[in-house]
Amino acid sequence: MSSENANQKHYHAFFFHTMDQQNSSHKLGMWAFLVQELLFFSGLFMAYIAMRYFYPETFSEVQTRNLLSIPMGFTNTIVLLTSSLTMALAVREAQLIPVQENEESKKHRKRMIQLLVVTAALACVFLVIKYFEYSHKLHAGTLPGKFYHFAEWPVFTDTDGSILGAIRTDGSIDVTSAPHIFFSLYFVATGTHGLHVVIGVGVILWLALRAKRGEFNSEHHSAVENVGLYWHLVDLIWIFLFPLMYLVK
Amino acid sequence: MGHSHSEPHVSPLSLYFTVFSSLIVLTFVTVGVSELGLPPTLSIIVAMAVALVKATLVATWFMHLIHDTKLNISLFLASIWFMSIFFIFTTFDMASRGNVMKMSDTFEFRQKRADDNVRAGNVVVPDGIVDPEHATGH
Repeated sequence: MSSENANQKHYHAFFFHTMDQQNSSHKLGMWAFLVQELLFFSGLFMAYIAMRYFYPETFSEVQTRNLLSIPMGFTNTIVLLTSSLTMALAVREAQLIPVQENEESKKHRKRMIQLLVVTAALACVFLVIKYFEYSHKLHAGTLPGKFYHFAEWPVFTDTDGSILGAIRTDGSIDVTSAPHIFFSLYFVATGTHGLHVVIGVGVILWLALRAKRGEFNSEHHSAVENVGLYWHLVDLIWIFLFPLMYLVK
Repeated sequence: MGHSHSEPHVSPLSLYFTVFSSLIVLTFVTVGVSELGLPPTLSIIVAMAVALVKATLVATWFMHLIHDTKLNISLFLASIWFMSIFFIFTTFDMASRGNVMKMSDTFEFRQKRADDNVRAGNVVVPDGIVDPEHATGH
């Protein structure tokens, strides 16, 4: 260690022997977190499988009644995929910043900041579209659990107010229908995902600010790579949520 | 890490654009297939197959797992493995529940009870929607 002290960079923590060791430790830590995220989301996906298993007709009927906007979900998928591309390209620019500061460093760092800002902007577009979807549901009454009060697919309750099932178009009652359960799943799953997008906007802008201060180069950009990994994971979860919620009849 | 130097593996731009275009094409495929009106089981299998291909593309190329250490790859695969155990065994549980379920837990029983309650006036429904005479379920 002591022989290396002369070459120590300010971003090289003293408790790591080499930058390689530091970077791979950062990445391992990030992967441990991402794996935890996957297991956390798997609970929501299991809830979807279970509810779809118990109420298959309800899930199909949500789609045949077009209660979710496919154009909006589709647009959001394209927006999120594009933001994943710009994030991956931002990480690539970080990899290209020479350690020895020169014009080349400035050029790649500037491009990286631009790509990060575009990624954050696309994330905001995603959230705005999500906001329009949510507010439409708020007005229609397609809300989770006891808040559900959609007039075109009404539910019936016992005298305590717990929902027992839905009412068919011919006026008969049906305990095998549970649209309020579908919308509970919809709001919890897309809401948790949306929260991750909000946090993503924050950390991406944080990276842009750090880069603006002249940080990051080809041997010191594990923060950029790790935020990139996080952002791709958010994309990965949406890749499954979109068909399950919006498409599968 | 196998490398003795800190130079990261830089993938060519064309690779990122190829992966991105594939993801967009697959998004169109999954929406297109959902419009075909396939039976539910087939439709869910196709949708999940396309989603898995998209997820693999993102994990392999955008998340750079292809150039990552064996340790990180194993970590990722281990999470997929444990997720599969979680999904499959819980589904087994649901599928075999009929064998141990009490009569009062079945939809048939709940439907009959609900119909009786409508006639007895113990069920709250929006005004004028349910005609108690025709309240019977299936």
